[in-house]
Amino acid sequence: MPCDLQPPTLERLALKMILKGQKRKLDPEDVEVSEPSSPVWESQRQFVFSVSLNKYQRGQELPEPSLRRSVLIANTLRQITLPSADREEVQPPSGSLCRLHPKERESIFTESKPNSVLMGGDPMCSLNGSALTNCYHSGDSAVTTTGDDEDEDWGSMSTDSDFSLSAAISSILTALDSTIDGSPQAAPRTPLRSLENLSGSSERGSAWVKHGTRAGGVSWAPQGEEKVQESCADVGKPSYLNDIMMEDVFQDVDSSLLERDMGGLGIRSSMVGYPSEEELICYLPPFPPSSSSHPFSLSLNSNLKCLPSFSSFSPLLSSPSPSSPESASFSSQNQARDGFELEHLMEILVES
Amino acid sequence: MLSPIQVLCSDITTLSLEPEPFASYTEADIISTVEFNHTGELLATGDKGGRVVIFQREPESKTEPFSQGEYNVYSTFQSHEPEFDYLKSLEIEEKINKIRWLPQQNAAHFLLSTNDKTIKLWKVSERDKRPEGYNLKDEEGRIKDLSTVTSLQVPVLKPMDLMVEVSPRRVFANAHTYHINSISVNSDYETYMSADDLRINLWHLDITDRSFNIVDIKPVNMEDLTEVITAAEFHPYHCNLFVYSSSKGTLRLCDMREAALCDKHSKLFEEPEDPSTRSFFSEIISSVSDVKFSHSGRYLLTRDYLTAKVWDLNMESKPLETYQVHDYLRSKLCSLYENDCIFDKFECAWNGSDSVIMTGAYNNFFRMFDRNTKRDVTLEASRESSKPRAVLKPRRVCAAGGKRRKDDISVDSLDFTKKILHTAWHPNENIIAIAATNNLYIFQDKLNSEMH
Repeated sequence: MPCDLQPPTLERLALKMILKGQKRKLDPEDVEVSEPSSPVWESQRQFVFSVSLNKYQRGQELPEPSLRRSVLIANTLRQITLPSADREEVQPPSGSLCRLHPKERESIFTESKPNSVLMGGDPMCSLNGSALTNCYHSGDSAVTTTGDDEDEDWGSMSTDSDFSLSAAISSILTALDSTIDGSPQAAPRTPLRSLENLSGSSERGSAWVKHGTRAGGVSWAPQGEEKVQESCADVGKPSYLNDIMMEDVFQDVDSSLLERDMGGLGIRSSMVGYPSEEELICYLPPFPPSSSSHPFSLSLNSNLKCLPSFSSFSPLLSSPSPSSPESASFSSQNQARDGFELEHLMEILVES
Repeated sequence: MLSPIQVLCSDITTLSLEPEPFASYTEADIISTVEFNHTGELLATGDKGGRVVIFQREPESKTEPFSQGEYNVYSTFQSHEPEFDYLKSLEIEEKINKIRWLPQQNAAHFLLSTNDKTIKLWKVSERDKRPEGYNLKDEEGRIKDLSTVTSLQVPVLKPMDLMVEVSPRRVFANAHTYHINSISVNSDYETYMSADDLRINLWHLDITDRSFNIVDIKPVNMEDLTEVITAAEFHPYHCNLFVYSSSKGTLRLCDMREAALCDKHSKLFEEPEDPSTRSFFSEIISSVSDVKFSHSGRYLLTRDYLTAKVWDLNMESKPLETYQVHDYLRSKLCSLYENDCIFDKFECAWNGSDSVIMTGAYNNFFRMFDRNTKRDVTLEASRESSKPRAVLKPRRVCAAGGKRRKDDISVDSLDFTKKILHTAWHPNENIIAIAATNNLYIFQDKLNSEMH
């Protein structure tokens, strides 16, 4: 995955495993001759695992992944991970929300776990049931989909969104603690494929939009925005999302709401007074069509500390994530209003 | 059959869409399916751009008794257009996945073509006469002034330049949630089936708004999905029997008389895995990419990544014969997995007498195996080796570092971007059609051509 920044936690882990294999100068071809207990076999297993994981994730990024390919890769991964030995190599980083026991990992294909590559823990977290569900459901068409299929889609998305969002939040905030150059880039989430996916996978997209309206120009989350942008831009999202300029989105935004919110954010914003809508827009980076480099990565260093939490913008979360201290500054009564504004913005996006 | 293969088509450059040898081609020109009709007179190809090109074999000239009938373009039409699924915000590719001819019942030809979601029935008919001498309208079709009409005449049919008309007769849409990979016309000439990754539907050729689901392997919980349908075909003369293959390397023969929903198979063909060759990729390489009934209806031919297997319908436990197509790739599986080549789906074909099987490989090589003599040959479909009337030279792939003869090619030198995925064999004669990316090659057995 071409990316100027270092890959995110999960990707870094996969990369580590690839590098491990390279360090040992392994010939990956002799996969069938090694004994299962030998270190060579283990290296082979890691190599195949990392390659499979990359493939799986890249397949997820496609608008419509091939079902046969996805199933074969998933089966290969399942086969590789079934032996539960040698879990020490795959240590999740501290602060991760996901720490699975081997048993849980084994059942990861059957249980509906949160779909988030950003969970930043065990790489297996990304290969959860709902991820597969999203992958396999991409082929469903409206006309022939039965009610059960649609229920599956809705069910998996709605139950996963809360946990996945808080996981995403914590991962993003963990990433923001490091320097920009060395900060991990979040892997793209499931793209906004269709309307029924908007409630789940669009959390970050909508949160990004909300950021722009409420947080003000300075208290902008470049890191999160970049991640969302990349996920929006790189995974073949519908073009209407990429082509929307911020001005179009903000046309219907009530600036009076902005002023009120800016007052509430005055403590955290380094700006004096309340910015006008035009000034607000000028601080919002344009939506690059497909760019892996982010021009704002170096220029918005100082704003990193002023980031509000994504959690406050989510209408589905009942309470902000406990791991994000910034969220404490937002009152819960904003969340209801946030929900309405979020829906309104999403309507605009969909209509355009 | 494995006598020298002679290049039949005299003008390969017109078949390929880019005459210059090294010119680049667009992705839309990549041939995605090849199929002879039941007499072998017509050959249809479909490409990624949704177009169908039909070739017709020229009748052999009496003035040149030794000239073979060559295939020339008969008709070209746009079968499928790109579509957009508004609910899922997904584009539906126009690539033609399969073409199947219907048995000819009148002067017109009918074929079914399908992309990922929609099957269409096309009528291909000729018009070589036109009526002239209408009373009420003139030659341009304008209504005549009745006052100028003084006598009556009977319109007569006059010959005209041959015109091939192709018209869509049926559109079978909205029945598949997943991508259609196979269509197969039943021997009852009334029904056909279409198979996607998880379901198989039975259609009547005259009814477009209804189809019957006969196989459904979709699990209740999609997270439990571990197997997909990869190919399906009806038996050549038992209209109740069909077979479908899976990504786990199994074949299931189903009898439609047993139940309306054929989820329970009548026979399961599966070869136990050889523990000595087990690897991380065992399941992937066991995935069956194509299944074909023999013309006799007694055998099944399957293709997985490294082998082609002939199964006897009466023996489910193991294949009758196994042919190694390119076993030298077994040690390269990891690289092939990395570059996605391991997911390539090769087709296979029987000859008319079921004595020889054929399948494609990499580097524009294709292989033929004689079941009786156990001889096999590797040939290459390339411009350099396919001058008209030239005889194809057998090729050999040697292991890296092994003994290498002249003209041998090393495994490491193989071009994995040049793959022969689609091949077809004339139903009666030893004429084969090979699709190599955007080029179509037609070869004929030299012995066969000399007899004419």
